Amino acid sequence: MSLPKKGLNAKRQTLWGWILISPLCLGLTLWVAFPMGLSFYTSLTKWDMLSKAQFVGFQNYIKIFTEDELFLKSIRNTLYFTVLSVPLQMIIALMGALLLNSQVKGKGVFRTIFYLPSLIPIVVSSIMWLWLFNYQYGLINYFLHFLGGGRVKWIDSTQMVIPSLTIMNIWNIGNVIIIFLAGLQGIPNDLMEAVDIDGGRYWHKFRFVILPLLSPIILYNMIINSIKCLQLFVEPYIMTNGGPVNSSLSFVLHIYNNAFKYGKMGTANAMSWVLFILTMCISLIIFKTSKQWIFCEGDKQ
Amino acid sequence: MKNRVVLFISILILIGAGLCFANGQKAASSDQVKLTYIYWGSPAEDAAVKQALAGFEAANPTIKVEPMYLPGDLDGSTYNAKMKALAVSNTLPDVGYFRPEEFGNYAENGYFLKLDDLIARDGMGDAYLPQTWLKIKGDTYGAYSAAECQVMWYNKKVLRDAGVPTPPTDYKNAWNWDQFVSYLKMITIDTKGKHPGDSGFNGKDIARYGVSYDLWSAMYYPSVWSNGGDIIGLDGKTVLVDKPETIEAFQNLADLMNVHQVMPHVTGGTNISPTTMLANGQLGFYVTGQWTLLELGAMKDLDFGVAALPIMKKPAQLYVSGVNVVFNSTKHPEEAWALQKWMMDPAKTLDLYTSGLWMPTKKSYYTDPSDIAKWLENDVHPEGFKEAVVDSMAISINEPIKIKNINQIWGDYLNPAIESIWIGDKTASQALKEAAGKIRNSGLLQGSY
Repeated sequence: MSLPKKGLNAKRQTLWGWILISPLCLGLTLWVAFPMGLSFYTSLTKWDMLSKAQFVGFQNYIKIFTEDELFLKSIRNTLYFTVLSVPLQMIIALMGALLLNSQVKGKGVFRTIFYLPSLIPIVVSSIMWLWLFNYQYGLINYFLHFLGGGRVKWIDSTQMVIPSLTIMNIWNIGNVIIIFLAGLQGIPNDLMEAVDIDGGRYWHKFRFVILPLLSPIILYNMIINSIKCLQLFVEPYIMTNGGPVNSSLSFVLHIYNNAFKYGKMGTANAMSWVLFILTMCISLIIFKTSKQWIFCEGDKQ
Repeated sequence: MKNRVVLFISILILIGAGLCFANGQKAASSDQVKLTYIYWGSPAEDAAVKQALAGFEAANPTIKVEPMYLPGDLDGSTYNAKMKALAVSNTLPDVGYFRPEEFGNYAENGYFLKLDDLIARDGMGDAYLPQTWLKIKGDTYGAYSAAECQVMWYNKKVLRDAGVPTPPTDYKNAWNWDQFVSYLKMITIDTKGKHPGDSGFNGKDIARYGVSYDLWSAMYYPSVWSNGGDIIGLDGKTVLVDKPETIEAFQNLADLMNVHQVMPHVTGGTNISPTTMLANGQLGFYVTGQWTLLELGAMKDLDFGVAALPIMKKPAQLYVSGVNVVFNSTKHPEEAWALQKWMMDPAKTLDLYTSGLWMPTKKSYYTDPSDIAKWLENDVHPEGFKEAVVDSMAISINEPIKIKNINQIWGDYLNPAIESIWIGDKTASQALKEAAGKIRNSGLLQGSY
């Protein structure tokens, strides 16, 4: 078969190509490229949204690193939350998915139950957890007390507030489980049977079949979840307002405070760019290191 | 054929653009004036405001008012964000509530209508409490929507059961702090019926608390002022939060939780609403904003009273409220001003006052017995409300809202420092001295509006 001749036909095809992707291009320009450009320009200005913006160069960037002690604190809080949440979430979600993948009665019901928290709007679940975590009357402390233990200050103490948010985050892993489950069901049965024939136990199946074949999905979940954790906002905004003593002040909450509470749009935009670069670096690191543990079908191994 | 498709798409786009344009042009074509009124508040406040607006429409048939309601949040950040978005996109409403802490900045940038001439023309200046009018550099740009302050409610049955005498209602001769604390200890009991100070008292298992204070910025002022302290000077350049009197006032409040154990721990808004606790008999006193009367007054089974605020060194009271403004961008300043006047006149919007939500800003409602009776004589306002609350407005001081960057000073420095006192991580002296130092070095002390 010969390639289509260059000429009227090819031109028409190009034209159609452009027409068909134009809505997407327009969307990307209007809602992604333009706001990003504007936010970068704003990050170089001093602007309270009311008076005229003054161009100040990279002063905002310098200031957030040198003068704003809460900026570094908010980064530390967010990284702490991410480092705590992501691995725990992955392990528990994988365990959940393995259980839900086995042939048990009422499998459908369990799958629904595990997915249910993901359907609850995050504002609602935040309020609910606020009650569960309540020091005096909360259900968790009630049970601890009932079992003879002492009451724990969950989100009321500077040490426990991030672990508390992590617990809440782990409860909400329906999405991660579903993706793992899809991956598990894509694993061919003959490989599992091969392990059986070789006399392997479940651990061998897991170590030599499931884990390698699932590794691309682990990578995907890890990156998506890391990004989600780095953007932690709603829970501290609703539950603790960053407290106590700023120990749950997340990066995005700090950006929000600067933009909308303190009228410092320029500073807030500069912080957003730092967050963007930080997120990109973390994703890149995960990608780069993933080559050593990821297994791709078709690779010679 | 393909050309026709391209033509068809182009026509669609043109029609779409045309529709958008026509939509923007439509509003001006009728001779009826349309105003938008923006406000926040609880669902009950929403209903009360809508009713007041409907009354205005009935009295002014040529004016139509569209309510723009935002559910209330305590620190107002959602409302402020909305307001910023409206300001930047040039779609501000005509009249409405405004967050007090943002007032100075917007006024200075010319977003509000200057009201002095209108006030003088309609002879309103002296008819209202002097604290009501909000001025920036001598010009009036807004008025407080209401007179609001701090009050102390109590559950009568709880006090009777605990053997506490009926608290005084005269704000000048209230309990002193030590008396107050000793009564709070009488009220507080753990699940075994022991009081703080008794041997075997279990502070982790308290069934009934003496008091709950609302702990957010404006609510600290009466205690701080009562002890002779202050937070930031009105000039916006001096930090007073590390004065010994201020430190002592905060330590007194923190001791209620951490030393005397007569107040539930409240940080991060995680506690059960004190209103509910008061109604359940789990709380003796509740020190809060006077607007909570709207909620309490509706609980017909609850027998509650009002007491004068306890005095640390001298009586003190706070004047706090949302602000009412006319936006400069309005196309109908006369009508907008008429609406603002309507909302300020208790005779027109009496429900807002009799329900307990607001106290009037008009002078005659504090002095003229027939006007006083109009809003106080009902089954919502408890006995003694006039002596304990209304009369205390005579010594009230405005919440200092004209200090530049006050929002960030509270948000970044004062609130976290004060929180660390509440949870007992630091003493008031450590936390406030540290915060004062940070504020002085923050570059935020840029004067006032």
